[in-house]
Amino acid sequence: MENIERLKDRIKTCCLEKEDPYCVPSCPFNLDVREFISRLQRGSFNLAYRLYSNAVGFPFIVSELCGAPCEAECVRRNAGGAVALNLLERACVDYSSNTNPNSYNLPAKDNKIAIIGAGISGLACALRLANKKYSVSIYERSSQIGGRLWSLMPSEFFLRDIERQFMYEKYDLCLNTEITDLDEILENFDACYVATGQYGDSFRLLSADTVSKVPLASNTNGVFLGGSLCGAGPAEAAAHGLKAAGIIDAYVKTGNMKGPQPVSGTKIKIDSSVLEKTGGKGVVVPSFNGRYTKDEATEEAKRCIKCRCDSCAKHCGLMEYFGKMPKRIEEEVHVTINPGTLDGNGTVATRFISTCNQCGLCKEVCPEEIDVGMFLRLSHNMMRDKNAMPWAFHEFWLRDLEHANSEESSFCYIPGDHTSGGFLFFPGCQLGASDPAYVINSYRFLLGEMPNTSLLLMCCGAPAVWSGDHKLYDDICRKITEKWTELGSPVVVFACSSCRKFFEESMPYIKSVSLYEIMLQHGIECDEVCEAGEVSVFDPCSARGYPESREAVRSLLRKTGYEVRPLPYEGRTAQCCSWGGQISIANPKYTEWLINKRIHDGDLPYIVHCSNCRDIFAAAGKPVRHILDVIFGKKGWNNKPPTLSGRRRNREKLRMYLAQEFCDEKEPHGGEEKKKLTMSWAVEEKLDREKILEDDVIDVINHCESSGRSVFDPLTGHRFGYHMTGHMTCWVEYTKEADGYRLFNAYAHRMKIELEEVWNGRKQKNDMQ
Amino acid sequence: MEENRKMICSKCNVALEPARAYFSYLNHSFHTDVLRCPECGQPFIPEELVKDRMAKVEMSLEDK
Repeated sequence: MENIERLKDRIKTCCLEKEDPYCVPSCPFNLDVREFISRLQRGSFNLAYRLYSNAVGFPFIVSELCGAPCEAECVRRNAGGAVALNLLERACVDYSSNTNPNSYNLPAKDNKIAIIGAGISGLACALRLANKKYSVSIYERSSQIGGRLWSLMPSEFFLRDIERQFMYEKYDLCLNTEITDLDEILENFDACYVATGQYGDSFRLLSADTVSKVPLASNTNGVFLGGSLCGAGPAEAAAHGLKAAGIIDAYVKTGNMKGPQPVSGTKIKIDSSVLEKTGGKGVVVPSFNGRYTKDEATEEAKRCIKCRCDSCAKHCGLMEYFGKMPKRIEEEVHVTINPGTLDGNGTVATRFISTCNQCGLCKEVCPEEIDVGMFLRLSHNMMRDKNAMPWAFHEFWLRDLEHANSEESSFCYIPGDHTSGGFLFFPGCQLGASDPAYVINSYRFLLGEMPNTSLLLMCCGAPAVWSGDHKLYDDICRKITEKWTELGSPVVVFACSSCRKFFEESMPYIKSVSLYEIMLQHGIECDEVCEAGEVSVFDPCSARGYPESREAVRSLLRKTGYEVRPLPYEGRTAQCCSWGGQISIANPKYTEWLINKRIHDGDLPYIVHCSNCRDIFAAAGKPVRHILDVIFGKKGWNNKPPTLSGRRRNREKLRMYLAQEFCDEKEPHGGEEKKKLTMSWAVEEKLDREKILEDDVIDVINHCESSGRSVFDPLTGHRFGYHMTGHMTCWVEYTKEADGYRLFNAYAHRMKIELEEVWNGRKQKNDMQ
Repeated sequence: MEENRKMICSKCNVALEPARAYFSYLNHSFHTDVLRCPECGQPFIPEELVKDRMAKVEMSLEDK
């Protein structure tokens, strides 16, 4: 079993979600290319310019100087050509309607900073420090600002950009002033940036050690060096100046010469299918004068795939629906398990934890194999242990588990005197609930082929796992192991891959095989042959680790004449139909969204090999059949699933049928006769939709009748009464009939009616029950 | 309509009247007026209240 701390640590340290795209580390300005491109993709040139301007200081100058080192790193360089970022930079400058800088109304700072050299690097440093309202003095040996720019571009072009960017800032410019002694500067200033150009004076502070470090802290406190003095090209020199400004700002505040570690590469990994989808479209060629029109720029920006490691979020419905990725999930779950207040406010992820299908796809698609689903499962356990998970999210399903393992539904049969080895058919609790014939026909087949096959009808404990009740689950595993040992350690034949997965995870000593593999190996005679047609197999997510089982289903289908067409998600990347985690009570809206998505994954009818997938899709109107429907020639494409109450009756019928057929049991087990309950189909549907069982309704009516506690409406003669089923309070509206009751309505709430509090001592609690 | 609904207690055979009732959920308590039997206190909570106000409070406590 995984450890939650280890999983947390993996999410924090190994998740690549926040890694830079390939291009950014090579950019001297570390421009946020993804955001820049996003703005251009939607045609927001002003916003793109603002971002670019903030990153490069002098947008007009830098867009002309930039050598686009990012293009050598671009993942599209072999898929139509690297995104033409330099042309896009120029386009954002060309088409921005407002190129003036922002004016920041900040209080002036007392600290004085000296800049030696008025080239692009010194000016960039001065600009940022002036933006932060430092008192900045620039010393320039020559009679003009711009340094190397004079030889690179027309002076009016770069001088206009410099003037524009400094339009709201004050600074002292001392031309024709050569600094020869740094000590003098350091006496009068808090820090100094030396950017004296390619062959400029480094004041003997430049060493091999400082060159390798950018931005450049010298060995003298408060002195920093950068720009072409340190070998930088023109664009990089500007970047040095901007970075030095950040470090000087930090130095003045903290006295620490070391700035943040420079960005060193990226660990990003992206799904190669993303590139394949681009179709290798080539770089947009500028139509006029080597510069893009607005439309061309937008089109070229759209070629960028904005590299991001987000496979989990792309494939996992939960992450997509909530727009949350692993790091944020980890943070929110952490504060939910460890709330900051005594009354437990701010537990933002409670419902989210209960909304994970636990399908494991996140781990499957993650390049680092981070198991966010398991992290949520273990978090769920912790929440339950602390009694912090609302009981309502899972109580219904835990009661369903209880029913499946009750004497009315559970059953074990050993043919003849086989008590050693052989096989054990474990159909799971939902297959028979969906249709008893699935289990009966499958078992008959198995007995025909392998007479030493026992049968065990019970729940594997999945609802306990999904509700976070690991103690209950451990107890079920212990019971199953005892039974399995008693049966002589047989190989277990599974019809449900969820049961199989849970067995394998918790009882790895039990050998398993899928029913469909046995059917294929033994050559089952299908009742239905040649209803030719195209179908898609919707694999259950739990069959991810069982390729033989998945293939067996497809082979069986082909034998009956079907042509199988693939779905976008199948096999190892199968997605959950919505059943996993039993999330529908915790989050009905998300469940509905997910089911709708799943039924539209493929246009063709689905063949499934999980009865839960079948029943969920059939209820949503998708043409769907279980592979056993095909094999045994049973239900057609639009067969409605049984109601939740019907599922319980099916389990009981199945148990009774098997007991009568195999054990000669005459009397129905647990023989208390239930009163007849009649209702309209609309009420029946409502009960099913709101997960109110007919058994619960009968319990409430019995309580009302035996205690006399109810009220009636004189206009209709209907009685209304309530009773608690588990923690739930269920209300019924009914009338008594000759042979039972007629139900008109039922509804339930999670709040408990606190009777003893209410009646202020006029009645005792016992009087009210 | 529900506010004016006349309901009779089956046990005491008297009309229900609005009175305070207390509820609890997830370690929180609250109260509201509902129809109750003036004799024995039997409450009646209409579906409208369950589906609207009660459901909202339940959900907000779950997400607190």
